[in-house]
Amino acid sequence: MSALGIVGGVVQPVLIVAGSPLLVGLMRQVRARLEGRAGAGILQPWRDLRKLSRKERIEPRGTSDVFRFAPLVLVATTLVVAVVVPFVTTESAVDPVADLFAVVALLALGAVALALAGLDTGTAFGGMGASREMTILALVEPTLLVAIFALSVRVGSTNLGAIVSSTLHDPARVISPASLLAAVALVVVIVAETGRIPVDNPSTHLELTMVHEAMVLEYAGPDLALVELAAAMRLSVFLGLLANLFAPWGIATTATPPAVLIGVLALVVKVGVLGGLLAAAEVFVAKLRLFRVPELLAGSFLLALLAVAASFFLA
Amino acid sequence: MHLLYLACGALLLTAVLVLWRRELAVIIRVFAVQGAALAVLVGVLAAQENSAELWAVAAGVLVLRAGVLPYLLRRALAGAGETRRETRPLVNVSASLLAAAALTLLAYAVSQPLVELAPSAATQAIPVGVTVVLIGFFVLVTRRRALSQLVGFLLMDNGITAVGFLTTTGVGLVVELGVSLDVLLAVLVLQVLTTRMRETFGDTDLDELRELRD
Amino acid sequence: MNLVATGMAAAVAIGLVTALVAVVIRPRAAVVGAGTALTGAAAVVAGAAATGGGSFSVVLPGVLPLSGVSLTLDPLGGLFVAVTGGVAAAAGIYAMSYMDTPDLRARGVQVALPVFVVAMVLVPAAASAGTLLVCWELMALASLVLVVAEHRRGPQVASAGRWYAVMTHLGFVSVLIGLMVFVAHAPDDSFTALREAGRNLSPSAAGIVFTLTLAGFASKAGIVPLHAWLPRAHPEAPSHVSALMSAAMVNLGVYGVVRVGVDLLGGGAVWWWLLVLALGAVSAVYGILQAAMSSDLKRLLGQSTTENMGLVLVGVGAAGLFASSGDQALAALALTAALLHVVGHAAFKTLLFLAAGSVLHATGSRDLDALGGLRPVMPVTTAAFGLGALAASALPPGTAFVSEWLLLQALIHGLPAGGVAAAIAMPVAVAAVALTAGLAVATFVKAFGVGFLAKPRSAAAAGAHESPFTMLVGMTVAAAVCVVLALWPGAILPAVQAAAGGAAVSGDVTLRLSRATGALSPLLLTLALVAGFVVVAGAFAGRRARREARLWDCGGGPMSARMEYTATSFAEPLQRVFDDVVQPELDVDVSHHQESRYLVQAVEYRRKVPDRIEKRLYRPVLALITAWGRAGRGLAPGSVHRYLGYGFYAVCGVLILLAVTR
Repeated sequence: MSALGIVGGVVQPVLIVAGSPLLVGLMRQVRARLEGRAGAGILQPWRDLRKLSRKERIEPRGTSDVFRFAPLVLVATTLVVAVVVPFVTTESAVDPVADLFAVVALLALGAVALALAGLDTGTAFGGMGASREMTILALVEPTLLVAIFALSVRVGSTNLGAIVSSTLHDPARVISPASLLAAVALVVVIVAETGRIPVDNPSTHLELTMVHEAMVLEYAGPDLALVELAAAMRLSVFLGLLANLFAPWGIATTATPPAVLIGVLALVVKVGVLGGLLAAAEVFVAKLRLFRVPELLAGSFLLALLAVAASFFLA
Repeated sequence: MHLLYLACGALLLTAVLVLWRRELAVIIRVFAVQGAALAVLVGVLAAQENSAELWAVAAGVLVLRAGVLPYLLRRALAGAGETRRETRPLVNVSASLLAAAALTLLAYAVSQPLVELAPSAATQAIPVGVTVVLIGFFVLVTRRRALSQLVGFLLMDNGITAVGFLTTTGVGLVVELGVSLDVLLAVLVLQVLTTRMRETFGDTDLDELRELRD
Repeated sequence: MNLVATGMAAAVAIGLVTALVAVVIRPRAAVVGAGTALTGAAAVVAGAAATGGGSFSVVLPGVLPLSGVSLTLDPLGGLFVAVTGGVAAAAGIYAMSYMDTPDLRARGVQVALPVFVVAMVLVPAAASAGTLLVCWELMALASLVLVVAEHRRGPQVASAGRWYAVMTHLGFVSVLIGLMVFVAHAPDDSFTALREAGRNLSPSAAGIVFTLTLAGFASKAGIVPLHAWLPRAHPEAPSHVSALMSAAMVNLGVYGVVRVGVDLLGGGAVWWWLLVLALGAVSAVYGILQAAMSSDLKRLLGQSTTENMGLVLVGVGAAGLFASSGDQALAALALTAALLHVVGHAAFKTLLFLAAGSVLHATGSRDLDALGGLRPVMPVTTAAFGLGALAASALPPGTAFVSEWLLLQALIHGLPAGGVAAAIAMPVAVAAVALTAGLAVATFVKAFGVGFLAKPRSAAAAGAHESPFTMLVGMTVAAAVCVVLALWPGAILPAVQAAAGGAAVSGDVTLRLSRATGALSPLLLTLALVAGFVVVAGAFAGRRARREARLWDCGGGPMSARMEYTATSFAEPLQRVFDDVVQPELDVDVSHHQESRYLVQAVEYRRKVPDRIEKRLYRPVLALITAWGRAGRGLAPGSVHRYLGYGFYAVCGVLILLAVTR
């Protein structure tokens, strides 16, 4: 465990927890402006969280510990990912966990906890959301792992630190067809995993369409605040992962204060830009029907496979 | 080198998009992009070989495949009236995307001996060309609309051209000219055919041609 | 006498004595269960000692005519003996009270249980083809008795028994022929002689031997397309037997493939291993897809066995592929991953089947659509099943996560190793493993969430009670092994690597790949998760008490259990996505009110997901056999003289033939 890793392990979770609601605020603001509305300002998600966390704690009748612990598990998994993934510093605080497969599996674990909570309520909405979420998760998995495969083939490792530093040393690799195709595939995956348009609409409560919101319908007060925070954190973690897998520039390689500061700024800028682009794209896209989603994921699977193929066709 | 591979990546991506999207207008636009990518590919080879002849071919490819053919297709589409979408391909879109994944691997397997004949940066990319040919063939087989079948045919031709240039870096201006004229002719003939079909059946679903047999 | 020999002798002796006692005095279930558990424990000791370097070898020429019995235990066999023993120990303890039902107290059933375990322990210890086949057959017969133990429950048990009997014997015949062809090229049937002969075997003969034995062993492991018996027999067997079959017996199919393919034949052509890889990948995806659609708890677990054996075969196939391209280190990594998955699967599948048995014991139902709400009344069983489900869905910190991680590492690093074949096989294999993992998550969320959480969906589920003490102990043993394997796989890694014949992973707490950069520490990961959980709980956990509130019911009054999502509805989106693959049979009946046909009175929805491979592959074969039978009916008019005459004519015919050809 190096000094650089420890600095990263402390700075990153603080940054992600503090910054992710702002990212959501930023994205809502971008959407609002593009749709010709004034918007509530980028601080609004934080105000919502503050309001929710002060409310009374509610326990829906007939729910169990699974329901109560699920938000905690969800936040905990995301927090672990925020600690170990090289977002700000190239070295990880807990290097043997900073593996792409492990990180992906951890994020899936959070989704599973929430799905179980949805089933635990015993309502039709909860079950529906859980069922849809698990379907999407199952279909996303092949794309995700094959895209990871494409990224790790050129490095010879699935260790995130190794991938990031290899890209830092050889920036020309980023514009190879393999990484471009993998990037497109990963973007689709991230859209699906974080429940954004066109796969899921985070601001809908229409039973025909909602996925994530249906699972968390029974949460209220501080529990809801946790779920909302976790959703925002997952979004920033995924975007940060995308940014640093393909454009790790600016990341701190030494434990000096200026380097870390630059690392923080670079991450904020990269994730902010990606979030803004995502929000802008969402304005122009309609939500897909649930049963058109497999088509989207099949397409992104093909792209991921082409990325693998290209990494040895054109190597 | 890098540019060559990027052009190949673009070829692949556009072929996939043709398979993926349903709107005929989008397909035609994607096809135009592929033509441009092909022109870039030939241009890179021209720069490598430093041959004026190849530069001319590149320009020709650009004009024909990114300009004239898409224009003709778009005109055919404009005349087609309501049928602007490939609504029900014979194989559904997810399945055809997975089939394309299999075709890619197949293309890689079959073109490996060809690559090993003369391993170089350009021949390494041959599987990409073969993939585009196979995907084009697949589109030709599974689509209903005459227009999207036409795009499939043109996709095949793009793939063949790419393989040709990648293997020999010089098919020769005359050959390319001949091929281009052939393609142009084919498109014109098919366009006429589509128009006639629509006048007869009010549709361009090629499955209806089956009725001619009875 | 060393530890291996002592352990093996103790296992066999205790098992046989238990069987003998059961024959003679028909004791209580507790005695048979305890005897079985002790047999298992002794086998664990012997197997562990064998993987640690101990060896033992014994030849008993007088026991069986013709070939005699010869036994030996090397690390590979030792691993499988230990796994079998572990499963038997947990299942034996569990059986002490589970077997206490009128059906299972029958003498034959009580005798068959220890015999089954002893046979399974002896199969990996066999040192000659003859011994292997005898033990194999003994295992098949004993398990057949156990499968049909509860035949009074309904005709489906007998049907499952028939399927199992036919398929297991066809598999046996296939292995028999394969080994006979092999032995024909060797001086005698001992494995040492076969190993020697395997080097000089012509490629075509080796190919025939491998294909035939693969068919037999794959059918035992439940590999598609020879899996049809598995989702029938495993659910219908009593639950402790299901655990033994699903967690221990199927492994021996894998053992057979590794023993014959890797050890005796010494590798072989690339196509063998591509075939194994393809069979594994197809089984994994198809098995878990069927499981995802299934709403029968035990059937679901059986189908998930097909999936896991598929994953193991993916690892074995990859190992063979790497070995044939000369990369021994990578081959060792892939085989280590496969064997580690065998061990992990044995642990969590035992746990899951025992927990499912506990549910069956308490509610009398295996139908997920009728379960639910078991958590408050069966807390231990619920926790056990939850742990098993986490292990099976390959999520951290679960058992299967470590082995699937190793498997994926082997596949990823295999890309540059194996030429064109690997370049095509590896991405497809990674995609198959990933799809399997994703569907496994959905499957086990369904099984656990619908089966145990929420509100009870039937009176039986509402009246459930926790199981007797020994059943809980059996589950706890399996659960403890699961936890150890999940957090500290380094504990058994030396044993697995000794069996795989190469050290590709090093480390204790942190597993490090020795050939490539890659490291994973399940323990640190879990600690990090727990720390994260504590931090979040500390920051957010309420000091104030919670207020109970109504569920959101859209203002329509209290919600009943009938409004819950069922297992069938949970699987509906997946079923629609994979419509073309599984081809479900749907049946929707809408009946209208008499007054107006716009008012719906009732909607009846039935879904059946038939096994498509079975429909396409088995039906024609069965139809053909039936037609043959019909055609042959003319030969059987019912006259005894005629039947005796057939024998007489046949003998005379053979004699005449001999006289003429001589």
